[in-house]
Amino acid sequence: MRVLLIEDTTGLGEAVRDQICDDGHAVDWVQSLNFAEASVQATSYDLVLLDLMLPDGNGFDFLKSLRKSGNSTPVIILTARDQVSDRIEGLNAGADDYLIKPFDLSELSARVGAVARRYRGDPNPLVKLGHLEIDLGEHRIKANGLPVELTAREWALFEGLVQRPGTLLSRSQLEDRLYQFGAEIESNTIEVYISRLRKKLGRDVIITVRNMGYRLETYEH
Amino acid sequence: MSTNASLKKSLSIGLTIGVSLLWLFGAISSGLVVQKEMNESFDKALKKSALQILPLVISDSLQKKKDNSQEIPTRENDDEYLTYTIKDQHGNVLFHSKDANPKVFNGSLQMGFSNTESHRIYTTSTLDNRVYIQVAEQLARRNEDLIEAGIALLLPLLFLAPISLFGIWWIIRLSLRKVAVFQFDIAERGAGNLSPVEMEKLPKEFKPIAVAVNRLLERLRRTLEAERSFTANSAHELRTPLATALAKVQRIKSAATDEPLKTQITDVENSLKSLSKQSEKLLELAKAEGGGAISQQPNNLVPILKMIVGDFSRQFPERIKLTLAKNEINSLLDPDAFAILARNLIENALKHGRSNHPVDVNLQADGRLRVVNECDLVAPQDLALLRNRFVRANTTAPGSGLGLAIVDAIAKGAGITLELRSPANGKKDGFEVELNLGTNLTQAS
Repeated sequence: MRVLLIEDTTGLGEAVRDQICDDGHAVDWVQSLNFAEASVQATSYDLVLLDLMLPDGNGFDFLKSLRKSGNSTPVIILTARDQVSDRIEGLNAGADDYLIKPFDLSELSARVGAVARRYRGDPNPLVKLGHLEIDLGEHRIKANGLPVELTAREWALFEGLVQRPGTLLSRSQLEDRLYQFGAEIESNTIEVYISRLRKKLGRDVIITVRNMGYRLETYEH
Repeated sequence: MSTNASLKKSLSIGLTIGVSLLWLFGAISSGLVVQKEMNESFDKALKKSALQILPLVISDSLQKKKDNSQEIPTRENDDEYLTYTIKDQHGNVLFHSKDANPKVFNGSLQMGFSNTESHRIYTTSTLDNRVYIQVAEQLARRNEDLIEAGIALLLPLLFLAPISLFGIWWIIRLSLRKVAVFQFDIAERGAGNLSPVEMEKLPKEFKPIAVAVNRLLERLRRTLEAERSFTANSAHELRTPLATALAKVQRIKSAATDEPLKTQITDVENSLKSLSKQSEKLLELAKAEGGGAISQQPNNLVPILKMIVGDFSRQFPERIKLTLAKNEINSLLDPDAFAILARNLIENALKHGRSNHPVDVNLQADGRLRVVNECDLVAPQDLALLRNRFVRANTTAPGSGLGLAIVDAIAKGAGITLELRSPANGKKDGFEVELNLGTNLTQAS
């Protein structure tokens, strides 16, 4: 997933960014609402993590304007404001979840996964595709009943395909998911990772559509 | 008069005494006027009698050439009310009325009115001054009439003073009825209710008091708001660095491969979590004791309770059995105060209840909130101490010992009764907390 993190506290922002990246998502981290607004206009995100008290304004206003513009990207509010009235205001303004600081990073990961699944319309984290059993919540995969270890980058790429099984994803769409590692992206990076995934999960799992992109085998036939 | 005497009593007695004294003064003044007028009237009657008797006596005397001392017989002369005597210019009695006392008439022949010790006398004569007449009237009779007139003036006071006392008391009571309502309104409001008191219907004289009370309440409300804002800001300022520290520690832990180091990092992580929990509880207690448990508008508690239970359900799946009324439960309890209250009760029940039994959270249609957990019996002496701060039941479960103190502070602030029971209703053991958040709260506030 491509995640926008809006958090002005440097130490916390770093830790959250690293955690979400470790979960295999690409994170853009900004520390003010101005940068956040510019980011949502420039890029399509799968999830926004939003702090409320920011140096240049209130996160509620950003959320309201996001919803007003028709953007339905899931938003999880991360805040130190623990009053239930704030929480109700946040949820009424269009937030999908609300996490009060201090929180466990593992809980944040779980909520990010749950909100993203809910947004896709399938809250069940367990996906079965042919010989593969995938736990999107725990980031675990079993092939023919045996666990398979994926690196964070491999997971990020594979999760993108699993989230839309049977849908053709372009090379640039897949590169977007690895944005966080953009500095290292070379022309053949996607091919390298696809090759590694095929090696671990089976050759027929990912289908190449020449000059178009890749899609996940749905095993319908 | 005592400074804390009843206004109604002092006004009633004071006004009655005042009115009675004025009445007495009025009666005495009137009595004196009446006395003067009556005396004049009596004198006129005396004079008229003399003037009427004299021609009759002379005429009779000329016709019958009566003896000097012969008296004139009358039909009635029973009580010597008027007596008279006829004298010549030398003072010799020509004749007199039947009961005429010579001692009364032995004075000089002074014309007009004169007094003796017992009588009022009027003396006049014929035009040629040869015959004089003296008519006497008893002063005692006059005084008797005057006393009767005085009594007639004063007697109503005896009946009217008590009626006046009752009337004054009743009017004052009626006039002060709105003041009594005002007094009741102030006395009955819960500690957390700082809304302005109703002053529109108060008598004009009492409005300054209501204005002063409302100003005081407003100042108190602002002070409490400042305190709450400070607490909220403190919470924010504490939470952010704690969140940063905890997140950093968790990141270090996830990167650490050395097991002893990992154990030490876990200790730091647990200490940070404990610090975070403890500071959260202390801030909640400060909020609860700072007032503001009553909201200006009723709020539906059902979605808030669902939200709180939902938070716990993520952490403790299948451990909470939530039963909600089908209707809205509207309460004047502040939503944030209710959230703190519910969170603490559920947290306590999860912490101290048997892990293989669900915690029963029940919000009934009448606004009664019950939280029940299975556990060993809590001794009555321990039950009584549980509301105190830093007091924990005989348990090994980790906790701050502030949960029930926070709930108790919110309940007190909102005027709600907090009941703790062990055994729980209908059970042999277990622990139950019950609060009535519905209509009673609205009345109490």
